[in-house]
Amino acid sequence: MVFVENGHRLSVYRDHGGYKSLQKAVGMAPADVIEEVKASALRGRGGAGFPTGMKWSFVPKDSPKAKYVVCNADESEPGSFKDRYLMERDPHALIEGMTIAGWALGSNTGYVYGRGEYRYLLDIMDVAIAEAREAGMLGKNIFGSGFDYDLHTHTGAGAYICGEETALLSSLEGYRGHPRMKPPFPAVEGLYASPTVVNNVETFTSVPQIIEMGGIAWRDLGTEKSGGTKLWSISGHVKKPGVYELPMGYADMEKFIMEDCGGMLRDDKKLKAVIPGGSSVYVMNAGQIIGQNVTLDYEGLVAAGSSLGTGGMIVMDETVDIVESTKNLSEFYKHESCGWCTPCREGTDWLVKIFDRITSGGGRPEDVQLMLDIADNIEGKSFCPLGDAAAWPVQSAIKQFPDDFKKWIVNGAASNGHVVEANM
Amino acid sequence: MLKEPIKVTINGAEIEAEKGAVLIDVCRDNAENIPSFCYYKDLAPQASCRMCLVRIDKMPKLQTSCTIKVTDGMVVTTQSPEIEKAQRSMGEFLLTNHPLDCPVCDRGGECELQEVIFDWGDVEERFKEEKNKAPEKYLSPIVANDPQRCILCKRCTRVCDEWMGEDAIEAGNRGANTVIGTYGGWLNCSQCGNCIEVCPTGTLLDGVYRHATRPWELDQTITTDVYSSDGMQLSIGSRAGEVHRIVARDRYVNGLNGEFLDVKARFAHEFINHPDRIKTPLIRYSKGGKLIPATWDAAIKYVAHKLSAYGSETAVVASPRLTNESIAALGFFARDAVKTEKVGVADRQSMAAFFENLSSPLATHKDIRYASTIVLIGGDPEEEQTYTAKQIRQAVRNGGAKLIVVNETPIRLTTKASIFIHANHGSVDAFALTVLDASNDSFAAEKLGVDAGLLGDVRDAVFETKGDVIIVCGSDLSSDAQAVIAATAGSLAGDGRRVLLHPLPLYNNSVGAIDILGGGSERDALRSAKAAYVVGSLQDASLLAGKEFVVVQELFETETTVHADVVFPAASFAEVDGTFTNNAGNVQRVRKAIEPLNQSKPDWMITRAIAAEIGVDLGFEPSATSAFKAVADAVPAYEGLRYPALKDESSPVQAKYEIASRDVSGAVDSLRRSVDAIQPADKINETPKVGHKLHRLTTMTSKTPQFHLLANGNPKPDNLLVSPLVQIEPSGAKREMAAAVGVGDRE
Repeated sequence: MVFVENGHRLSVYRDHGGYKSLQKAVGMAPADVIEEVKASALRGRGGAGFPTGMKWSFVPKDSPKAKYVVCNADESEPGSFKDRYLMERDPHALIEGMTIAGWALGSNTGYVYGRGEYRYLLDIMDVAIAEAREAGMLGKNIFGSGFDYDLHTHTGAGAYICGEETALLSSLEGYRGHPRMKPPFPAVEGLYASPTVVNNVETFTSVPQIIEMGGIAWRDLGTEKSGGTKLWSISGHVKKPGVYELPMGYADMEKFIMEDCGGMLRDDKKLKAVIPGGSSVYVMNAGQIIGQNVTLDYEGLVAAGSSLGTGGMIVMDETVDIVESTKNLSEFYKHESCGWCTPCREGTDWLVKIFDRITSGGGRPEDVQLMLDIADNIEGKSFCPLGDAAAWPVQSAIKQFPDDFKKWIVNGAASNGHVVEANM
Repeated sequence: MLKEPIKVTINGAEIEAEKGAVLIDVCRDNAENIPSFCYYKDLAPQASCRMCLVRIDKMPKLQTSCTIKVTDGMVVTTQSPEIEKAQRSMGEFLLTNHPLDCPVCDRGGECELQEVIFDWGDVEERFKEEKNKAPEKYLSPIVANDPQRCILCKRCTRVCDEWMGEDAIEAGNRGANTVIGTYGGWLNCSQCGNCIEVCPTGTLLDGVYRHATRPWELDQTITTDVYSSDGMQLSIGSRAGEVHRIVARDRYVNGLNGEFLDVKARFAHEFINHPDRIKTPLIRYSKGGKLIPATWDAAIKYVAHKLSAYGSETAVVASPRLTNESIAALGFFARDAVKTEKVGVADRQSMAAFFENLSSPLATHKDIRYASTIVLIGGDPEEEQTYTAKQIRQAVRNGGAKLIVVNETPIRLTTKASIFIHANHGSVDAFALTVLDASNDSFAAEKLGVDAGLLGDVRDAVFETKGDVIIVCGSDLSSDAQAVIAATAGSLAGDGRRVLLHPLPLYNNSVGAIDILGGGSERDALRSAKAAYVVGSLQDASLLAGKEFVVVQELFETETTVHADVVFPAASFAEVDGTFTNNAGNVQRVRKAIEPLNQSKPDWMITRAIAAEIGVDLGFEPSATSAFKAVADAVPAYEGLRYPALKDESSPVQAKYEIASRDVSGAVDSLRRSVDAIQPADKINETPKVGHKLHRLTTMTSKTPQFHLLANGNPKPDNLLVSPLVQIEPSGAKREMAAAVGVGDRE
């Protein structure tokens, strides 16, 4: 992805056409703005892929309560770092997108909620917000339209769960970052029990382009069902990791990894596994990718046996032991489970204990079945999607890489040698 | 009767349910057993234990039945292999880190987790890993905590927040390290113990009862609280003549208070079996001499002889803690045996004037919970009538009721109030003049030290109300002010608005004493008397100084018995049958849990024996049933009541007080004069500490050792551990475990 020098400055942003979309939007009827977003087939970039225009249309127009626009800049999904780039290099695009959303939804206040570790990004945002406010892009009577809108930033204390939209709202209100019951959905009762739209950074930054190009034209950059372009965060064993912007429906995944990203980091090592959408999706083995013509969009990845998630792609070569890598993820989910509901709290703890035992040589033949059963008992039964996210990596790792598990259970602690070498 | 019946299909059977009812309740009402831990009818839904999963047609995943409201045509499956697997897996998850130390757990036998798991019959334990550990510790002198047993249903944190408004306990840390903890590691709250009551496992435990018995060994006796005038229903657990613990009644067959109790009702029961109880009749043969044990026969004869000689020179004083039966026996004794007019009640502040001037019905506690506007005048229910306070808090929090507080002290409830009239010290009476009459506003406002407009706002709030207005009349008010408030309330009703009255008397049977003996004070009764017959203790024992002959019936030696010539050992509320009348006019049963200890006897029985010795029949047989019949025949409000009619505590019987419009112009004039005489004073600006009245040491509460700690500021001890966890290493060396895991400790 190409960034303009000093793109975080208002003057540079405006030189490249910034805030023209906002000016255009405030000249449109709010309902028409929502229609454009609907036409663009923009789907939420935070991982769930819910159609953004539809989400916006759920906000009750006649509610007497204040309405809020909240940006989910928590980006806590392992493997995902696109939002960081956007806020670091292009903060005004986020401000513009949120302001357009504010206009469309009849809101006068927006919040950018970032994770505790993103304090430095929110400092950049704060400078950009001040610049925008100074220049009249925020505050009272924006572009003479009579529309008042202002933005505030807020950091959490560093919890994965606060990336879940209702937990984010709890945290933003000053409570423990616990998810809330749905329904009511945030569009009806969100922040301070008022209608609220929560969207990802990338979702909001897409909005100015949609208004500029028109919804249909933007959609046609991608496919009919997955409109526009998508940012991919690539990490792991590739020569050129980083953030890539690809049109939705890009063909194909193998070409992307092997050519666009420069191929495997070490030429003599073969591709073993890819987690395509951040840690909370099914892990894919090489056989699901090589020669399979997997298209990079929501539908293509589901057809290939995984999902797009946040687009945080982790590439692993054959030196990686999937038991070790999955254990690492399980430890993450155990550490980040908020403790609210039984299956996630106790299930993640149990899974880690089993992984610990297996990797210290105490694996038993029945462990694999037990882990699948625990994952199954978590999946679909937890209070919020974190439980599912913790179950899927384990289920898919066992399904796609049974030999790695077998090796640990048969060889016991002797398998350790392999791991030490891989890490060196 | 269902208001809006709809059809719901549960497991193939079509049933009728109330529209909007919670699915889990509908299922349970229709005999479908659904396990759950976090669901609690009176608390906000939590949906965290995931035990109550059911399948609902047209919904993608299993749903928690505690969060689903039933809709017409809903098709629900609560039993299937899929649901059983889901529910069993939750049980399995909960047991992974649960220590399974049921044989040494105080909740064993009453544990909801144990019940659910046992119901399944066969449970395979697949968890072979090491369990997370955390040592037992104390959270306060009376709340013990074993964090390992916790299943994080958070009923405790919710009752603390929603019932008590105290927020003293909260969950800390996260994931499998989550623990229920306190701010600063020590509970500085009112110590109501409701968190212990609602805990489904042995995580929060009664520190007074700790390890005394196993729950199934206890005989449970349903009776009425002996401390507050709310008349809370509770269950005394006794074994072999000893009272070991008090809990609230089961929440599915509850009394008016559900599982709510306060610190005194729940924990201050150690006085019952206390060794300091007076064991035999005592006689002081010469003034200034010692009290010497005597036989019942000798003491009764002595007292009968003396009191019959003093006759109408005798003052008879009843404590407002006694049962109606004992109070009535005293009344009959005064009337028939010594024929005296000198009858009084040893109440701190009588509310007789309130009851004599009722112009509106009394509110039940349920009425308060669903009221639209509550006007609280004088008094501090959070410290004295805790259940009334809880109903007020919930009415505001859950029902959106408007609370108006008129008080000289900024009591804690003022934080929930929409209008707070902060009266100058000693001026709260002035408010009574303005309840109906706006012409008094400027006069009263000057005395109260508030803006006169506020008084108009209160009337506006009352007249704008569509539902119920509850006027809560505290005992801080003078008799004239009580009379004026009680008499004017009726004229505030109209436009479909009910106005109900709720008094805040100070003792468990203050109301019964007023009903039976009227409003005489101990001071008036004793003023010119030569002899005194006191049952219970006086507020001011010095009134007995100089009396020629004093008879006292008591549990303990008190300042009152110092003046006594004869002391009879009385039986406590746990040892007698009888009735108390609460502040809602509910006449409720007191039941005998244990036999009277030592040589003690119920008060009415002693009074009856003295009368019989004098040669007077008090008009009832020697049984509590017969005594109550005599009460019901004598008190018009209790007409026709008998013990069998009081059997069902879930719908308590309310006494029928005479409601009429009253002429209180005399009281208004006298009140205006006394208000006029109020001197300007400063305001009290400090909110009193939580528990400043609840934790006060009295004859009864001081017998529970933990109350001494509470009364002395509840200091945090250096070591919170119940017993230090010690590991024995293979070498035989001991290794002490780390201190308790507290909130904020890193994992």
